[in-house]
Amino acid sequence: MTRNSELWGGLFWLAIGAYVIWAGHDMGLGRLNQPGPGFAFYWIGVLMSALSLGVIGQALLSGGPTLSSLWAGTRWGKVMVVIGLLLIYGVGFETIGFIPCTLALLLVLMWFVDPVKWWLAPIIAVVAVLGVWAALTKWLKIQLPAGVLAGIIG
Amino acid sequence: MDILAGLGQGFAVALQPINLLYCFMGVFIGTLVGVLPGIGPVSAMSLLLPVTLSGTPESGIIMMAGIYYGSMYGGSTTSVLVNIPGEAASVVTCLDGHEMAKQGRAGPALGMAALASFAAGTFAIIALMLVAPALARVAVAFGPPEYFSLMVLGLTILSFLSQGSMAKSLLMAAFGIVLGLIGMDQITAQARLTFDRLELLDGIGLVPVVMGLFGVAEILSNLERELKREVIKARIGGLWPSLADWAASRWAILRGTVLGFFLGILPGGGAVIASFASYALEKKMADDPARFGKGAIEGVAGPEAANNAAAGGAFIPLMTLGIPPNVVMALLLGAFVIHGLQPGPLMMTQNPGLFWGIVASMYIGNAMLLVLNMPLIGMWVQVLKLPYRVLFPLILMFCVVGVFASGNAVFDVFVMVMFGVLGYLMRKFGYEPAPLVLAFVLGPMLENNLRKSLILSHGDFTIFIERPISTACLVLAAAALAAPLMPALARRRAKISAEPT
Repeated sequence: MTRNSELWGGLFWLAIGAYVIWAGHDMGLGRLNQPGPGFAFYWIGVLMSALSLGVIGQALLSGGPTLSSLWAGTRWGKVMVVIGLLLIYGVGFETIGFIPCTLALLLVLMWFVDPVKWWLAPIIAVVAVLGVWAALTKWLKIQLPAGVLAGIIG
Repeated sequence: MDILAGLGQGFAVALQPINLLYCFMGVFIGTLVGVLPGIGPVSAMSLLLPVTLSGTPESGIIMMAGIYYGSMYGGSTTSVLVNIPGEAASVVTCLDGHEMAKQGRAGPALGMAALASFAAGTFAIIALMLVAPALARVAVAFGPPEYFSLMVLGLTILSFLSQGSMAKSLLMAAFGIVLGLIGMDQITAQARLTFDRLELLDGIGLVPVVMGLFGVAEILSNLERELKREVIKARIGGLWPSLADWAASRWAILRGTVLGFFLGILPGGGAVIASFASYALEKKMADDPARFGKGAIEGVAGPEAANNAAAGGAFIPLMTLGIPPNVVMALLLGAFVIHGLQPGPLMMTQNPGLFWGIVASMYIGNAMLLVLNMPLIGMWVQVLKLPYRVLFPLILMFCVVGVFASGNAVFDVFVMVMFGVLGYLMRKFGYEPAPLVLAFVLGPMLENNLRKSLILSHGDFTIFIERPISTACLVLAAAALAAPLMPALARRRAKISAEPT
């Protein structure tokens, strides 16, 4: 029972629903003829909680797949790596800059995460990054962080 | 304004060289994302939303519209040649289209898909032109209760038609409303669920949410399983269907077009439902239903006509009521809002050049698509041979760049990653992202109209059932909600929602 993924999903949304109810109440419900800023939140929180209880009830009555079965036979390690890489990319994006950060991201993805031929990866990465940078900054006038290359391309 | 005069004005706008260029870019990108599995019109449109800022509103919206109906064309190519739908509305085209390809008839299947799409797309534009002005006149009389009830109906129908549990879909719609309401309250200017982050005062951006839920989540889901794409080896052959093919398909095209158009108008409906409904109808009307799934050309013609007609029909609620009937139209609404425009009943009188320009561009775009999809089929086959391991890093890069460019803030990149993870987990646990996104867009309008209605009625909820249009919408919404309790309707729902929206 405790490994039932449907049950855990329902409990997660029940917690979110309960938080929305509390937040709505905290913001102020107002009166029916003058609803306050928390009015919609409160009632949507109630609706979410009710629906979550429905999902939990269904999970308890009919069961559901186990948590581990959802990831059985999948390449979930690659997913974790990509999420981690995106977070690191976000942290370095402004300080290091678009070009070096994106080049590094593409190379890691194409060399280690889902490898292509080793010599093809840098070609694709350089052409794509410089192409996108030129199109955005020169043609569409959208500023991308120059970062460590500010003295060269800034 | 007279329809013909309006159309004349529209062509004057659409035929401007810059608008022709944007229209071509739109239909080209649309065909490309339709052809490529793993990226659909929703991701592509949200990615290019910031690009629309660099041009006039007409150019940007013409391009966005082109991506949508262009993707309907492109999706069939992948379905026929690889047996993987390029986008969700082409799922049923796999059934008979790929069978035809295996029998050496890929050419007629692709040709019929393109021609049926063209015929249906053209019909939808003419119908849009005729229906929209009439509906806009009616919509002027809509007040907050009607708008509120109509949005409730849209969200309920979308949840009804979504894959899997209806409770989960409704849960996602409710969560989408909560996310949409984050930020400053429109009436009291109080910060709501902003967690003291200045970036959240204007709310969460549409682009990071959509790119996360549809772009990043799709990549994560595809990465964890090996994507195998076997492009058909048999010769594609001549694209022009034979007389026998035409004879078999003409009524399927007609039925698919009419059915698709009306399902497209329906709030919560759209191209996916239309293609499934058309396939079911053709199978039911066939003299020999056993042919379906074994290469019946009607099984390609009907659904392809239906999904293109639905794409055209979906513009009607957005243009006349200002309410997007599906996620793609919600993104188009985002494009309007970025340019400071509000689609709705007054758009035709206040911005006739924009409205008729979009309509006229759709005629031109449809003709462009026929050219792109008939003689250039060889190029799309080459695109299909690109391995996913090359594509996904590039898609990821476009996601990051698109999200950053939309708000010039790294915060949005983190929001996208967060929604990417959420979207990935939602797919794992069987929760649909489409109701969440539609509710996210409708949330602020829904709350605003609810509060206005209650203020107008001095807190009396009967305002929603005293007005006929509002009552009708709520009765229909209640029927959709009650459907799972009725075994016959529940079975029907399970059949309709058997495939993802």
